[in-house]
This record gives sequence, structure tokens and C-alpha cells, in this order.
Amino acid sequence: MAEKISLKKLLARKDIRELIVQFEAVSAGGYEIYPDEERGEQPGQGTSLYPCFPVKIYEQTLGWVAGEARGASFLTALLTFFAKEEYEKKALGRETLERYKEINVLYEIAAKLAATLDTADVARLVLAETQRIICSDFIQVMILNEKTGQLDISAASAADKSKSGRFFIDMGIAQQVAFSGRAEIIDSVATDPRLSHRSQTGSLLYAPLKNQDRVIGVIGLSSHIPAKYTSGDLKLLSAIALHAALAIENAKLYEQLREDFINTVRSLAEAIEKRDPYTGDHTRRVMEYSLAIGARLNLSPGQLKKLEMAAVLHDIGKIGVRDSILLKPDRLTDDEFAEIKRHAGLGGEILRHIKPLADILPGIKQHHERFDGKGYPEQLAGEDIHLLARIIAVADAFDAMLTDRPYRKGLPFEKALQELTANAGTQFDPQVVEAFMQVQAEQTEAMRRKEGLL
Amino acid sequence: MSKVLIVDDEPHLRLLLQQALEELEDEGVELLLACDGEEALEQIQTEDPNLVFLDVMMPKQNGFEVCNTVKKVWNQQDTYIIMLTAKGQEFDKQKGMQVGADIYMTKPFDPDLVIQKAREVLGLA
Repeated sequence: MAEKISLKKLLARKDIRELIVQFEAVSAGGYEIYPDEERGEQPGQGTSLYPCFPVKIYEQTLGWVAGEARGASFLTALLTFFAKEEYEKKALGRETLERYKEINVLYEIAAKLAATLDTADVARLVLAETQRIICSDFIQVMILNEKTGQLDISAASAADKSKSGRFFIDMGIAQQVAFSGRAEIIDSVATDPRLSHRSQTGSLLYAPLKNQDRVIGVIGLSSHIPAKYTSGDLKLLSAIALHAALAIENAKLYEQLREDFINTVRSLAEAIEKRDPYTGDHTRRVMEYSLAIGARLNLSPGQLKKLEMAAVLHDIGKIGVRDSILLKPDRLTDDEFAEIKRHAGLGGEILRHIKPLADILPGIKQHHERFDGKGYPEQLAGEDIHLLARIIAVADAFDAMLTDRPYRKGLPFEKALQELTANAGTQFDPQVVEAFMQVQAEQTEAMRRKEGLL
Repeated sequence: MSKVLIVDDEPHLRLLLQQALEELEDEGVELLLACDGEEALEQIQTEDPNLVFLDVMMPKQNGFEVCNTVKKVWNQQDTYIIMLTAKGQEFDKQKGMQVGADIYMTKPFDPDLVIQKAREVLGLA
């Protein structure tokens, strides 16, 4: 008996009340109706002089009708009819609500998954949403490792954390589901021959994560109650699995794309290193200084990522500078210097075809601009110069000052710092210099402390 | 005793909301139904519900008109009105504000949210 029907509520309905009044008018007389939700018992002897008829649906007694036999039995039939109708309506309502909740969850899953581009996040999200609609003690999302052919556990969670050790998702069966690509319900862990080594009881539900017939993972649910899962649950889990598989595939592709992209950037950076070994180490140091400054200036993780790429690529334009100038051991003539100055703009030209790098191009093109507007190539000034470029300019100049050149010796560390301060506001953005000074002061402090300890 | 009026021209949605709010009946809340704007106004006048779930797209009078009558013409600020609107059809928030709707929910609505909001409005724990 899933639905509770109240005779009292039925009698409160206007249409039913009127019917009873009309019936009483045309029949012999009055009838007593005893809505009895709690006891379900026949009213005691003496309550009524007339025979009692039970209003019953599906073995549930809702109450009694007493009165002249023929009329009372008719009234009983009428009320039973309404009660049944009410019961069916309620059952339908409950069923509709359940389906509706499922649709709602699927809708939410789809929307959330569409915005998720990280495999682990997808797995966690699928787990959390599944927990909301399918009753389980334990859920596990497993992703097929393409290299090993095995399922790796990507996310797992118990409904009741304190009991998490008591439930399991059998990996052997998960592998079978991954292999067959078919969802599976195991009604009884205790009697399944594949699980005879387990001491637990309960039931399991598995669905493959499939993309166009290719299995990329499995989701598994476990319950301590035997025969817990229905074909409805299986269908629902399969629907979730469909969304999940798509999202995981997307996330994987996105991750691959990002990796490829970062590797492309690395290759580009290496190309210039191979031509001019000085640039190689210089690039690495400029990147490190830049990131330290960026962190000090509280750049977001996304901005820091861009800063890193811009710093790595800031001298890429040197690829376009002739070897006779690029690798010249002596001081450059004015003409040669004019030639080497082109590298900033060249860097921008080389990279302009790569859309994801569009944001960082100014950081490369403008890294030789000066805060006072006397730099190159466009004589930008102040905040018209991109922040990335203002940071790289300080890091670049500082490293260049420290480095020995065949035609001059590098400056001592302290002297180079003084040079930066002296040129803050003219060549450099004073705020960036300030940030760099703070970073250096911190590092010196840390070094001293370390030495003091030794 | 608190009363909640459900207004929607689609029978299954009335049933759905009724079902989502069913547990309130055990706490003495009366659930009323109306299947169009005219009927809704009638019920609001005679029954004075505390909370109304009001579908926007309805024949005869739409939800905006009903809300406007209740909130602006009759000036019944105590009647809490939740507008229901289908996802995809972008809810005209400004219009909702103009006619004085308290909040709006998009369909498919979250049944748990419906009951939670109803409890909040009716002051039930």
C-alpha cells in the first residue's frame, strides 16, 4: 500500500458531499459514515444500530458506513469508487513526480557537465548527482586507462562516510561491464558465483560509460539491500552514464588539446634556444623572475599562466634576426642594434596566427617599451604598455645586467638592483620594480635565516 | 490554517505541484487548485491563500495579468506569489517585477526547492 487515502479528506470534497446529501434525500434516510484512518476497525457494538459496511481499497480499510443495508452498501460502493480514483490519481502523481525529479536531475547534470572540462571534476559531479536520485550506499566512477586497458577509480563516495569500508564495487564485474558494454544488475551479492569470495550481502548496479559503442569507463552503485535495483534504476543510470561519457570524452579532448598547445609553445621556445644558447638560460630565468613578480602583484592563476607563456616566448622574434648579429660576440653597431630591435615586433608577427596566444601577444611585442614612452617598437608609455610586458621588461633587464657578455662584465647583484630602482618611473613601471624589490628582499632574508641556522 | 493555491492550465503540472506539496497537508495546509487565470482570481478572492504558485502562460488571463490584479489592483501584498515559467522561454523579469511577483521559478522546477520555498513562506519549520 504505497498511497495513503483519507476518507475524511474525501468527505471534505464539495462534489462528494453534495452527492451524499442528494443520495440521502432520495433514499430512505440518514447514514453514518465513520472515517477511520488510525484503527481501521469496525465501530464498536452500540455505536450504531445498523449494519456496518467497510470502505476498503487494496486491503486497506478507510472507514465504515452504517445505515439501512441497501442504501449503506450503495454508499459504500460509491465511496470506494472515489477512494480508488483518488488512490490512482495519487499513484500517478507520485510516479509523475518521480519522473519529473529524474528529468530535472538529468537536465541539471547535462547543464553542469557541459561547463566542466576536467575529467576528475566530471567524475565527482556524476557521483554527486547520481547519489541524489538513485538510492545507494556506495558509488564509484571508473575510467578506462587506454595504456593499461584497466579501469582506474576516478571518484568514489559512500552515502554514510562512517560506513564506507563496508561497501564495495567489484572491479572484476566492472571489467566485464566495460568489456561487454552492457549495464548489469546483481540482485544478490551473496548468491552470485562471481562474488562468492565476498562476505557482504546486498546488490550492485553497473552501467558502462559509452561513446558511440566505445566504452570509456563504468559507473557502479552498491546497496546493502538485496534486489534493491530495478530496471527503472538501470535506465536512469544509463541516461546519466550517457551524459557522463560525453563530458569525460570532451574533458579528455580538451586536456589533450591543452597539452599539445603547451608542448607547441615549448617547442617554439626551444627553437630559439637552439640557435642562441645564451637565450635559453636567459629565457628560463626571465620566466622565473616574472612569475615571482606576478605572484607578488597578486595575479590570478590564469594571468600567471599567461605571464609564464609570454615570458617563455618573449625573445622568440630573435629567430628572425641574422646569425651575424644575433651571435656577434662584440658590441653591436647602431645599424645592427636597429636590426636586433626588430625581434620584439617579429615575435608578435610569428605568433599572431595562434589564437589562444592572442592575449599574450602584447606581453611579447611590448617587452622593450619603456614606462616613459622612449622604448620600442611603438613608444607606448605608462599603463598603455601591457602589464605582462611591464613585468617581463623588468625581469629581462635585470637578467641582462647580471650576465657577462664578451664585451662587458655583468653587474654585481646589488648594483643591478640599484639600477632598477634608479630607472623606476623612467624605463620601468615603479610598481613592478617595487614588487621585484620585495621579492628579492624576501629571498635575501630567507637566505640569511638559512645561513644563520647553519 | 494556511492555504496554498496552485494555478496551472496543464493538469499534469497541477498534479505535480500538488504531489510535491502533499506533505504540507499533514500539517494542516489546504491545497487549492485553479486551471486558468479567471478561476485563480476567484479562488484568491474567496479563499485568500497565503501562497500562490502561478503559471505565466495560461489561456484567458495569463499569470502576469492575474498577479497584477492581486498585487496592484487589490493591493494584496500579503499574498506571496511565485511565478512559474518554462525553461527556454526567457522569463520577462522586468515584467514580473512590474506586476509585483515575489519570486519566479523555472520549469522543470526542482520539487525539493518547491517544498522548501513553500515552508519558508508559510513559516513552517
